[in-house]
Amino acid sequence: MDLENEKIGPAYNAPESYFKESESRLLQRLGIDINSPEASAPKIEAIKPVEVLMKVDTSGIQKRARKQDPLTSKSVGVDKDVDSVGKVEIAPLTFTTNENPEWVNFSAISEETTGLGDSLNITKVTYGDLLNPVVESVQIESVQRESVQRESVQIESVESGIVSTVIEVETAIEEVVAEEVVLETEVAEPQEDFVVESIVEEESITPDSIVVHEVPEFVGLDELESYIAPINAPKAPIIEEVIAEEEPQTINLEAPPTAFAPIAGRQKESATPGWLGIAASLAAIVAAYFIWNAIQPPKAEEAMATELQQDEPTLIESPLDEPISPKDTIPDGLQLVEPLIMGEMPKYKEPNVYTIIDAKEMPPRTKRALQDLEDNGLATFDMEDEMFEELDFESL
Amino acid sequence: MSVDTANAKNMSETQRLQNLSEDELSVELVSSGVTASLFVEILRRYQQQIYYHCRNLLLSHDDADDAAQNTFIKVWQNANQFKGDSRLRTWVYRIATNESINLIRKRKPTIDFDEAQPEMADLITEDLYLSGDDIALKLQKALCYLPFKQKLVFTLRYFEDLSYAEIAVLTSTSEGALKASYHHAVKKLEIYLSVLR
Repeated sequence: MDLENEKIGPAYNAPESYFKESESRLLQRLGIDINSPEASAPKIEAIKPVEVLMKVDTSGIQKRARKQDPLTSKSVGVDKDVDSVGKVEIAPLTFTTNENPEWVNFSAISEETTGLGDSLNITKVTYGDLLNPVVESVQIESVQRESVQRESVQIESVESGIVSTVIEVETAIEEVVAEEVVLETEVAEPQEDFVVESIVEEESITPDSIVVHEVPEFVGLDELESYIAPINAPKAPIIEEVIAEEEPQTINLEAPPTAFAPIAGRQKESATPGWLGIAASLAAIVAAYFIWNAIQPPKAEEAMATELQQDEPTLIESPLDEPISPKDTIPDGLQLVEPLIMGEMPKYKEPNVYTIIDAKEMPPRTKRALQDLEDNGLATFDMEDEMFEELDFESL
Repeated sequence: MSVDTANAKNMSETQRLQNLSEDELSVELVSSGVTASLFVEILRRYQQQIYYHCRNLLLSHDDADDAAQNTFIKVWQNANQFKGDSRLRTWVYRIATNESINLIRKRKPTIDFDEAQPEMADLITEDLYLSGDDIALKLQKALCYLPFKQKLVFTLRYFEDLSYAEIAVLTSTSEGALKASYHHAVKKLEIYLSVLR
């Protein structure tokens, strides 16, 4: 078959509709509006990555990070894929207990905390709240608390009729600090008097706030147990006092540094030193070697004689009655159909192709001579110049 | 300016670009930079050729579609880097070839381009937009038994009718080497096709 004389058409025939659809898809992807002819290339900025701070749902990463690095409770640089999306900074976790409020280990709260006052601020912080630092705050107030004074503050609106209300807002993503936000509310009828009751607490009896962090579901009982054990210890819980004096004191039950290292930590140390194991392994290998040699069948004398003969160089005698096969080689890639091709090979005549490795260093006269040979069809030269290594469209 | 006026201006611009030859289009691109209408003209002019070129190299429709799309995205992004030192068609083909090679490397990182990839022939039998011509399909299968270099040269020369000079620029190879590669490829394919018949 003569490929160059018998032209074979393409094997593919895509319909026009495909190309139109592909065109519109591409233009849409690039944000090009055909109706605005003056739109220019800078529009491509739209599909370039924009380096802005962006919020990423890092809840899963935090879990993994804490799992991987329990000592620091930090996840910085753990998930490179997400870190590369934007400048994501993951706040360290102050882990305490399980998500179910009923599971809060109240007994773990030291007397130093509970004994100070009967009013506790228990704040439930979920992983979602870590991203949105608005936390619902539940204030448990004890009626029996004597030191808490209730004062009725009567505020008389004078001219503007503005009444101040105290709202307690806690943010959990940074430090657990209670903030007082004073909201000013404009009152429609400034003539009326408003009575606002607020809880005024003395500095010494500021109610404590306990932050209860949610625990992922995969935490097993043994891990929880390992956490509770150090909490029950007298000095285990770390209590962070709120710096602000007049604000309700918030206590952060931070996890002990080894909270999630129990699995590794609990492993009993082997009584056997490490070198004994290595020695035993070596002994086993040596023993296996001798056993393997012992179970090998003895070589026959004939086989040994054959081996000895093969070691000596011998002349290979070609039998005269065998036909001499053509010396043509099977082209690369056609080995799979070698049996079929062998019948056709005698017809295949290798062209006068010569491989030249150092073509670039040839003197000009030699190059011209080679070019003449090629132009006259006497030879074809294959310059090995590794074309794919140099492909770089931007250089054009 | 009313919408009708803008549309009329747009139509005239499109028509003007359609009437330009390839060289004039290159000059337009180099002198005044790429605009949306100029890019659309380049896209419409070379889209089919680039798709078929990628399809010949990659065999799968989905891969060819991806490579063709990426090619024109890069044309749009790098249009201002086109210096006019080569023909516009050669430049676009070169980007498409690079995209195809990148896609093959992505699919099979350990690929050796000096070796044939006969297993790729399986991609041809049942895929979209086949012409249904048996001998053409056999030729495509036979192409899988060529090393990538010979396959590339053969497809560019045989199917796309590019000159050796263009292919030499496109592949940064000497014309002599290209002729040798093409010659090898044709002979191998002829043997393969004669065996299959």
